[in-house]
Amino acid sequence: MTAALPPETPPRDRARAASQPLQPLSWAGWAAAVATIATLTRQPVYLLLLLASIGAVRWRCVQEPEKHSLSSLRLGLLLFASTALANWAMVRAGTTELFALPTWIPLLGGAWTLEALAYGALNGLALAALLVGFSLLHQVVAVRALLRLTPRAYYPVAVVLSIAVTFVPTTLLQLQQIREAQAVRGHRLRGVRSWLPLIVPLLEGGLERSLQLAEAMVARGFASPAAPHARRAQGLALAGFASLVVGWLLQLAIGTLWWTSLPMVGGGAALLIGLWHAGRQHPYTVYRPHPWQRRDWIVLAGALLAAGAYLLPVFDRSTLFYSPYPTLTGPALDWRIGLATAGLLFPALLLETR
Amino acid sequence: MKNGLTAVTYGLTSVVGVAAFLYPFWLPQLAQSSDQTLARANDSALMVAVLVGICFAVLLLEVQQQAVSAQTIALLGVLVAINAALRFAEVALPGPGGFSPIFVLIVLAGYVFGGGIGFLLGALTLLASALVTGGVGPWLPYQMFTAGWVGLSAPLCRPLIRLLQACWPEAGGAWSPAHKEVELWVLALFAGYWGLLFGATMNLWFWPFAVGPAQMHWQPGVSLGDTVQRYLVFYVVTSLGWDLMRALGNFLLVFFLGAAVVRVLRRFQRRFAFVYQPNPALASPAQARPAGAAEGR
Repeated sequence: MTAALPPETPPRDRARAASQPLQPLSWAGWAAAVATIATLTRQPVYLLLLLASIGAVRWRCVQEPEKHSLSSLRLGLLLFASTALANWAMVRAGTTELFALPTWIPLLGGAWTLEALAYGALNGLALAALLVGFSLLHQVVAVRALLRLTPRAYYPVAVVLSIAVTFVPTTLLQLQQIREAQAVRGHRLRGVRSWLPLIVPLLEGGLERSLQLAEAMVARGFASPAAPHARRAQGLALAGFASLVVGWLLQLAIGTLWWTSLPMVGGGAALLIGLWHAGRQHPYTVYRPHPWQRRDWIVLAGALLAAGAYLLPVFDRSTLFYSPYPTLTGPALDWRIGLATAGLLFPALLLETR
Repeated sequence: MKNGLTAVTYGLTSVVGVAAFLYPFWLPQLAQSSDQTLARANDSALMVAVLVGICFAVLLLEVQQQAVSAQTIALLGVLVAINAALRFAEVALPGPGGFSPIFVLIVLAGYVFGGGIGFLLGALTLLASALVTGGVGPWLPYQMFTAGWVGLSAPLCRPLIRLLQACWPEAGGAWSPAHKEVELWVLALFAGYWGLLFGATMNLWFWPFAVGPAQMHWQPGVSLGDTVQRYLVFYVVTSLGWDLMRALGNFLLVFFLGAAVVRVLRRFQRRFAFVYQPNPALASPAQARPAGAAEGR
C-alpha cells in the first residue's frame, strides 16, 4: 500500500528523479526562446553567444549522435556558407569594394562588397542557429512527448496525429511488401506510370484498415459529443485574432502609444480564453504523469530571461538591429543582453547525461 | 450564424495569411512613411512569424470541426500516414529537384472529400512527417499553412470541371471517357500550378533571411516594383528549376495516377458513409452490449 511511504524520498528515488528527462514543455520554451532571438537580432556577438549556448547544451544533453548522413551541424554549416555567398553575389550595396566584375555580366556584374558578405554571413548565422537549435529539440524530446504538447483545444488533430505517427512504420512495411509482391510478378519501376501498381494497393489497404480502425474506435466508445459551446469558443478566438491584427497595424501606422497596444493585449487575451474554452470540452486523464520538477522551472525561467532580454525594452534594444551597410563598422553591444543569453545554458548545467 | 462565422473565419484568415506571407513587399513601403515605424519594422519579422502561427491556429480550430466522427479521424490518420511514408520512401525515380509525391493525395482527397479534409490532410502531413524525421522548426507553420491551402482550394476544381464538361455536351454521357479526361487535365494542371506556387510561397519565409527587408530600409527610394523585381531575380536564380521539377512531377503523377486514386477514394467515400446510431432499446445498462457498427458495409 502506498500509505507506508517513508517521509523522505530514498536516495535511489532521488537518483531516478535526476535521470528523468526534462518536461517537453520546458524544452519547447527553450526552443521558442532560440527562435525568438534568432529571428530578432542580426548582431554578430549576440548570434555567436546564442550558437555557443546551443552548442554547449547539445554537447551536454545529446547522448547518441544523429543517424542521418547529413547531420544538423554539417547542414547548418552548409546553410551558413551558402547564405553568405548568395548575398555576396547578389547584392550590390555597401562601400568597401573587394573586387568588381564587368557590368555586362547579368546578376553577378558590378562591385562585390565586404558589407554584402558580412550581411549574408549574419543571416547565415541566424539560420544555422534556428536549424541546430530545433534539431536539438528533436534529439532530446521523444516524438510522443512532442505530440502531447498539442493543446487540448485541438483534440481531434491530436488524435489524427497520433494515429498517423503510429501507422507510418506499418505503412512503410506494407509498401515494402507490395513492392516485393509486384517484383515477383515481373513489375519494374520505370516512369511515373509504373507507380500505379504500388500506390493503388497501398491506398486500398490503408483505407481498409482505417475502416477497421474506425469500427474499433466506435466499439471502444470513441465518440465526439456535440460540443455545446464550440461556437462561442470559435467566435471568441476569431474576435481576438481580428483585434490582434488591428492592433498590430495600428502600431505600425501610428506608433507605440498607450492606446494602440490595447487591441493587441485584449485580442491576445480573448484568443487565449477562446482556446481554453474549446479545450475544456475535451477532458482527458494521463496514464503516466510526468510531474514538474524544480529543474523544469529553472530551464523555463532561463529561457524566459533570455527571450525577455531581447523582447522587452529594458536594455538597449537598438543594439539588436545591427546593419553592416553602408560601411562596415564594429557593432554596438549591450553586455547585459549578452549575459542574459546565457539563460539558455541552464539545461546544460542541470542535466548530467554525459 | 453558424455558416456566417465559418465564412468570416475563412475570409479573415485567408486575407491576413496572404498579407503576412507577402510582408517583405509592403513593409518597406510602410516603414518609409515615418521614422518611428522604421524602429517597429525591425521587430516585424518576429511579429509576422507569430501572426502566421496564430492565423493558422484560428483556421485549424474551425476546420477541425469537420473531423469529429471516428470514421473521418481514422481516415485522416491513415491518409496522413500514407503520405508521410510516401514522402520518405524512395519508391522510384530518385526525385529530381523539389519532386515530392505528397501533393497527389492532398489535391485528390480535397477534391473528393471536400476542402476541410484537404486542408487537414495537407497541414497534418507536413506536421507528421516533420515530427517523424526531425524537421520541426519555425518554418513549419508556413509549410503547414501552404499545404493546407492546397487541399482547401482543391474543391474549386469541381465547378470548373462541371463547366468544362457542360461545354462539350457532344462527348456523350456523364462518365464518357472524354469527360474523365477533362477532369484529369484540370486536376493535373491544378496540382502542377500549386507545385510552383508552393515553392514561391515557401521562399517568402526564407527570403528575409537571404536578402532581407533590413537591406532595403537604408535605401531611401526603393519602390514596390523594385522589391518585387528583386524577389523575382532571387526566385529565378535560386529556386525556379527546383520548383519546375515539382510542378512537372505533380502534373505527371496526377495525370497518370489520378483516375485510379479518385476511383478508390470515391468507393471508400460511399463505404465511409455509415452512421452509428445507438439503439435506445439497448441503451439500458442491463442490456448494454456493443452494437455492431458495420451495418453500412
